[in-house]
Formats: sequence, structure tokens, C-alpha cells
Amino acid sequence: MTTAITLQAVSKEFKRHPVPALRGIDLDILPGTRTALLGPSGSGKSTILRIIAGLEDPSGGQVLIDGRDVTGVLPERRGVGMVFQRSLLFPHLSVLDNVAFPLRAAGASRRAARAAAVPYLDLVQLPDYADRNVASLSGGQQQRVAIARTLAARPTVLLLDEPFSALDPDLRADMHGLLAELRTELPPTIVMVTHDRDEAAAVADRIAVVESGVVLQHDTVERIYSRPSCQAVARLMGGRNAVLGVVSGAVHSSDLGQVAVPESAPEGPGVLVVRHESVQLLGRGAAAAHPGEVYTGTVAQVTRNGARRSVTLSRGNAAIEADVPPGVDVSEGSTVVFSFVDGAPSVVPIEAHAAPGQS
Amino acid sequence: MSVSLRSVPPPASAPRSPVRLQGDPGRPLTTSRGMSRMARQGLALLLIVWFALPLVPLVLWGLAEQWSFPARLPTEWGLGGVSSALAAGGAEAFARSLTLGLTVATIATPLGAVAARGLVNGWAPMPRTLTALLFSPLLIPAFVAALGTNILLLRAHVPPVMGLVLVLVAMAVPYTAFVLRTAYAAHDVGYEEEARTLGASRRRVLWQVHIPLLTPALARAAFLAFLVGWSDYIVTVFVGGGQVVTLPLVTASAASGVGNDAVVAVLSLAAILPPVVLLAVLANSRWRTEGAV
Repeated sequence: MTTAITLQAVSKEFKRHPVPALRGIDLDILPGTRTALLGPSGSGKSTILRIIAGLEDPSGGQVLIDGRDVTGVLPERRGVGMVFQRSLLFPHLSVLDNVAFPLRAAGASRRAARAAAVPYLDLVQLPDYADRNVASLSGGQQQRVAIARTLAARPTVLLLDEPFSALDPDLRADMHGLLAELRTELPPTIVMVTHDRDEAAAVADRIAVVESGVVLQHDTVERIYSRPSCQAVARLMGGRNAVLGVVSGAVHSSDLGQVAVPESAPEGPGVLVVRHESVQLLGRGAAAAHPGEVYTGTVAQVTRNGARRSVTLSRGNAAIEADVPPGVDVSEGSTVVFSFVDGAPSVVPIEAHAAPGQS
Repeated sequence: MSVSLRSVPPPASAPRSPVRLQGDPGRPLTTSRGMSRMARQGLALLLIVWFALPLVPLVLWGLAEQWSFPARLPTEWGLGGVSSALAAGGAEAFARSLTLGLTVATIATPLGAVAARGLVNGWAPMPRTLTALLFSPLLIPAFVAALGTNILLLRAHVPPVMGLVLVLVAMAVPYTAFVLRTAYAAHDVGYEEEARTLGASRRRVLWQVHIPLLTPALARAAFLAFLVGWSDYIVTVFVGGGQVVTLPLVTASAASGVGNDAVVAVLSLAAILPPVVLLAVLANSRWRTEGAV
């Protein structure tokens, strides 16, 4: 059974905080999807999760789980499991008793709950840790136990509140692998809060970008990256290119030149956005043979980031960033030829330059 | 559930590397070195002597039938002091004091917990005023408070025993609230929220998560509240109206007479016993709540 979550005009104001945490959020989380709520710190994404879990009451609006209004329903009666950033394992219980806790809460005897908890520990590959004190586990092991404990509650919706952000990169990658491998055992609808777009792309199939208490865009991972709804979304997804110009007949004109954009791009002033990964630097021979439109720019800056290099190309008032492929030699002040991956450029409204959260 | 996952290292402790790197002391940092261990043991011995020394004359007097100056030890040994203490109602008074101490602890600890949680979480209205009111019994001399409240309780026709408990609870709550306020300030409500999302009701969260996590602080608070009830003299005299004869009253009564040194010594030793036992229990308890409170 898959479960849908719907937020209708949900707002949240905290006492002594002049700025609302959420401003009339409308969000449809489709059944069976893995949705990442992505946004900077303080954007309201964790508040959305807490409202879905019933740990916070909304100041206005409704929360529906499978069409049933659960606003005001106690957290323990929502069938929603939650894994927090800290594992929050109960230190007075052993590892096994932690996993057995939801089964005990459901009315099982101690013996039955322990017996039923064992498979969940097996599931996260910690069967030998049953009698351990939770304080003796590493951070990654604690988070594994926390996931096993939440799964033991058999929730219909799993909420993950930055569960791996306290782990080092290797362990985080392990946990992403674990989630992928547990896919068959996890409840089908998952909502995850993260400020890490790579993690969002690794775990989720849909992303809702949240900023200043507003959902800016909710779409598939691919479309969020390639077709941001506004400049704020493009920036939050790591986009570095925004060129002001005018759209006419599905062509964006600016100091950069004329760039073909989707037919749906509105006529008039607009901002061209294109990901730096979609900018191709072309050698002289390749430029002549390139079938599509090519552009020229002057290398304004070369930046090294680990093993990768990126380059800022300028032409008039326009500037474009591009990744430099290995083996290509670029130097500041030189002129290079480049093109865009077919279909990569898109246009967002100029209003998106205004303060975030006004969309 | 047949899911194959990559393997996780077994829980066996990793063997120590025989290679010692620069700066590696070669043993855990928590292992004491010889000199520091000796210094610590010496300090502990001095402390034990410091606290035990005043008890030595009491023990000697308790076992003395006769001890005349200038003899350094009792000239005649015996358990006459114990018999006299029992005859003076020491056992009953001991039981009454124990009951009073436990009653005060039982009431003042949850009250202190509620007050502390309210103050820490910001539920309580006018927190500064409430804090001042809560801690005011510590500022007012016990004699003044006992006299004042006695008049009020008499006018309100409150039975002496109930009045005594009420006043002692009021005197104990500042201690329990203080201890628990510190504990609640460090307490992570995330544990309780997690328990709720795992399906636990408020009642189950209270008994299976909240109280176990706060057990060390609750035990410390209860101990202090017990001491207030156990050792009180002034309030018991004034508010108790002679109806509640506790161990401090019997001891003071014996001490005011002449030639009761052995009885006073036995009663005094009896007065020390429960707090020492409770302290030993507290000190030796291994709470598995590190990191939670």
C-alpha cells in the first residue's frame, strides 16, 4: 500500500519569532515517491517534516495522509516513522530493546517484542550487536539501529530529518547504499530533509526546494536541475550561470549571443540559466565541425577545485561558467569557443532576482 | 526479509598495534600513572579520615557504659546506650523520621520536576517571579518561616501532620527544582519526540523514556528532599505541635539532659545511617543515560 501526503495552505508561526517559518505551503507528495525537501538552514524544511509527523501543530492549513485530515492527530496515531539527525537511541536500553521499543509500544510482550526485533537488526547487518550498550556503537552503527527501530514500527510514511548529515562522507555513502538496498523493506513513501543537493539526488526521485518558508519548486530530480522555476532554485541546485536578456520566438538574446530556449519560455525579458556541466568548451577544429550554435568568450578566470577546474568566460556584460574537461588547456585572457548541450538552456523570470520566498 | 548487504566489521575489539607512533603514550589516556594514582588514593584517604574522625567519639560513646575524664577510652564497655535509646522511643522516632523524609521526597521531587520543566521550557508564566517565589524558602530563616506558617495553618485548621508535610515540602522544592532545572536544561526532548513517532503514548513516554533518562537527577533531587524531611527540627517542633516525634526531636531532648551521652551518641549515629546508605547507593549506581541528560 502506498501513502500520499498533502499539505494544504500550511503555515507556521513560532512565538517570539517575527518571521513566519512557513507561509501557506501547498505540497502534494505522491504515493510511493521518495521526496527530498531541499533548502538552506532555517528555510522551514524541518518544520514541514515535524508538522507531517505531528510534532508541531500548524498555525493554519491542513495535513492529509491518504486523504485523511490528520491535523491535530497525535504523532503516535499517524503511522509516520521519523529518523532524526541524531540517532536518539535510548541510552537506558540495549540495542535490541531499542529496536523492540515500537513493538512494546504496540502492546507486544517483552519476549515477543525482542523476538520480532531481531530480523530488523539483521536487516541493517548488526545481528551481533543485540546486547550491546548503545553508547558503545559508532555513529554509523547508531544510525543503522535508528533505522531498524523506525522500520520495526512498520510506518506507512518514513520521514528522514537530515539523518546522515553528522556522518563523514564515506559513512554517508554507505547509508545511502543501505537505504537503496533496503528499498523493498522501507515504506514506499519517504520524505527526506537535506541541505545537500547531492544527497537529495542520491536518495530521492523528487525534490521540493524550500526557501524562506515557501516551496519554490517541486519536481523530479532531473527537471529541478535542468528546468528550475526561478533563479533561486537554480542557485540552490548549484547553478552558477544566469544571463539577463530578452526572449523572442524561443530565442534568448543577450551579450552572449542568441541561444535557443524551450518554446514554453515566455516572451520578453528573462534570465537565461544553464548548468556549468552543460557548457562544452570546443577546440578550434571541433568548433568548425560542431553542428549547433557556437559562441566565443574570453577566459576571465580559471578556478581549481580539487582535481577539477572551472573557467569563467565573459563576453560583453555576460559571463558564463564552465567545467574544463581534463586535457584541455585554458589560460586567462585567451579566447575560447563553446556551445551548450542541446536543450540545456532555459529561461526563468527576472522577478526571480527579487528576495527569495516571493514566488 | 532476505536482504544481502555489505558486511560490517564484527564487534570484537580491535587489537592494539604493536607499533607506537610519536606521542602515543602506549596506554589509554584514562589509565592513571603511578604518582597520580598514589596522590589520588592519598587524598581519598585524607577525606575519609576528615569525615570519619568526628564519628569516632560517637561510636565510642555509643559502646560506653562508663567513660570518665581523663580516660582516653571508655572505662566500661556495653550496649546500655542502645537499650536506653530504644527505651526513649528511638526506634519509633526513627521510623517516623524515615516516613517523613520519604513522604517529603515523594511529593517534592515531582513538584520540583514540574516546576523545573516549566521554567526550562518556558511554559511557566512570569518565570523570574516564579523562580524568586520558588527559592524564597531558602532566603527566609527556618525559624521565621515555621512561626509564620504555623499561625496560618492553625487559622486554616490544617491538621498538624499535614501542615508539617506541607511546610517541609515547600522547603524541599527549591532544592529539587534547582537540581532538576539543571538536568532539564541538558535534557533532549528529541528522545520523547522519537518515542512518540515510534507509537508510544504520552504515558508510556513518561514511564519508559522520560523518567529513565532523568533517573540520576531525580535520585539526586529525591535525596536532597529526603534530607530536608529527615533532619528537620524547627518546623517539626512548631508546626508538628508535638504530635510528630521524630529522631531529631528525641535526640535533642536527650541531649538537653545530663548524663545521656551514650543515648545521644546512639541516636546521632542512627540519624547518620539512612543518608549514608542512600549516598552509597547513589554513588554506586551505574546509570545508562550518559549523553541523554
